[in-house]
Amino acid sequence: MKRKKRLQDLIGWLAPFFGLILVLAIFSSIPEIQDRFLRIANFKSVATQSVIVALGALGMTLIIISGGIDLSAASNLALSGVIVAYAISAGIHPVVALFCGIVTGGLIGFVNGSLITSLRLVPFIVTLGMLGIARGIAKWIAGNQKIDAPLTWVNELMTRNPRPSWLLLAPGVWLMIFLALVMAVVLRYTVFGRHVFAVGSNEAAARLCGIRTNRTKIMIYSIAGLFCGLSGVMQFSRLTVGDPTVAVGLELDIIAAVVIGGGSLSGGEGSILGSMIGVFIMAFLRNGSTMMGWPNYIQEIIIGAIIVVAVSLDQIRHRRER
Amino acid sequence: MKIRTLIPFAIFLCLLVLSCGKSEQSKSHQDETNKLKIAVIPKATTHEFWKAIHAGAVRASRELEVEILWKGPQREDDRAQQIIVVEDFISRGVNGIVLAPLDDRALCRPVQDAVRENIPVVIIDSALQGEDHVSFVATDNYKGGVLAAKKLGELLRGKGDIFLIRYQAGSASTTKREKGFFDTITAEFPEISLLVQDQYAGSTTETAFQRAENLLSRFPEVDGIFCPNESSTFGTLRAIQEAGLAGKIKFVGFDSSVKLVQALRGGHIHGLVLQNPMKMGYLGVKQMVLYLKGQKIEMRIDTGVYLATRENMDDPDIKSLLMPDLSSYLD
Repeated sequence: MKRKKRLQDLIGWLAPFFGLILVLAIFSSIPEIQDRFLRIANFKSVATQSVIVALGALGMTLIIISGGIDLSAASNLALSGVIVAYAISAGIHPVVALFCGIVTGGLIGFVNGSLITSLRLVPFIVTLGMLGIARGIAKWIAGNQKIDAPLTWVNELMTRNPRPSWLLLAPGVWLMIFLALVMAVVLRYTVFGRHVFAVGSNEAAARLCGIRTNRTKIMIYSIAGLFCGLSGVMQFSRLTVGDPTVAVGLELDIIAAVVIGGGSLSGGEGSILGSMIGVFIMAFLRNGSTMMGWPNYIQEIIIGAIIVVAVSLDQIRHRRER
Repeated sequence: MKIRTLIPFAIFLCLLVLSCGKSEQSKSHQDETNKLKIAVIPKATTHEFWKAIHAGAVRASRELEVEILWKGPQREDDRAQQIIVVEDFISRGVNGIVLAPLDDRALCRPVQDAVRENIPVVIIDSALQGEDHVSFVATDNYKGGVLAAKKLGELLRGKGDIFLIRYQAGSASTTKREKGFFDTITAEFPEISLLVQDQYAGSTTETAFQRAENLLSRFPEVDGIFCPNESSTFGTLRAIQEAGLAGKIKFVGFDSSVKLVQALRGGHIHGLVLQNPMKMGYLGVKQMVLYLKGQKIEMRIDTGVYLATRENMDDPDIKSLLMPDLSSYLD
């Protein structure tokens, strides 16, 4: 019995890998693009393209495990990017500007968390409101257009060909890998990480056990906000302009990545590794579809189908466990 | 059990992939290996304007026997998504890229990346900073504004009060049209005065409608109006019609749509400045092919602006611009 359980755990853990391998296998078996798809350079460019969604997904994983949701992630990201561009074009030192962008993200997250706990509103509503507010502020600060900031080293963070070349991958990609490792450790081995799971599994029980659930939640949303801020910095780095209209709807990509990776919207489940794989499944699908010259609607249909299939697989597994 | 649940998933994906792969292949399978592959990247894919560009590109690809890969950003008008599309085509290794950049600056680096990998880039529709592209094929928007100003001046016989309703701050192409219009009116028609020239219609028909309504209730005596693009023209048209002033106010707009053509025929619009998107798509691809074949090409190509009026709207040339027939190129 116990062995069977362990086997199931293993399968559950491997399920997202299976999806990624399937996607890779399909595109590598198409002769038209085979050699191009499997080149290192292509993997590098997909990794760079994934950074923005991946950073958002790190925070979103925390939130979804805790049983919440953050619809404001993409707006928050756009706002942070605009703040960085605004600061740099105002002549502030890039390091300070970066810091401002990340802190802005954290602040928005903190407000989200505080409103959710103090007003006892469901996260869906609070972050739906924040989706509009943050986007609006971004457009306001940018004067309803994009901000052309002078080029600085910030714009080197996400280049496909990093300098110095021994870096191999863009600094943003290394940062993403590092932060993913950190978050995986935090979730698994720290008290805070275990509290996140406890809040998501059964909030009442967690509170009765002495966990300060409100404080935990505020921390979760603030951390997620910081990740959105960082993601916004990366977005700015890539665009070289602060664009308040960027990433509309990207929150759904982020949520989809977490869900494909085994996160449960009812809370208590999810993993950093799974979410990262979710991000890469979508990134490789987009990459492969573009290489094939398929129209956009095909990849939208495929990604939609994958979400449904991934979640239903998860459900089936759960039903059998009970 | 596990396997059984995975089967439909796998079948579904395989079917989907195979079916798309197949439909693509059946069209272009024959000797595609030695055909030039050219990626054409628009700003968006669903607007009429981009469909016409697509049709032009398809026409060029048929004439010159090259293969085109048409792909816009996944979300319309999203700069970040357009960068991803360019990068993916670089990875795929096409022979050339024809790009309508969503931003004159944000797309610079992807274009540099392409050039570094020996993929030449032709820019269409909107300008790009820098010197990395081999050619720029677009409408001379300033000239379009000049054309509109001359027509409006002529309609008003050189005197009257007019509105210049601008489109949106920061939009390069429309700003040039507005400048062309403004310069010409102030230089050539000293007796025409601009009642309003710093009001922005905003990006949608609805915002333009409201703005024009407010302006009309403030200045009902206005004699003429110019709007620099399709949405502002249509929004303003609606406001003029609602105010019962249609036909009385001389109205010159930009671009065409079914509704605008009706209004032109009905005498509610007195002139429409037209671009030639099909030619833009056609020449964009053609320039690229000529360049790839080692011929010398021009750095800047103007695809022309044209004025449609009620009198000339049935001429075959103007008609093909007002209501381009794309069906033979797009399915």
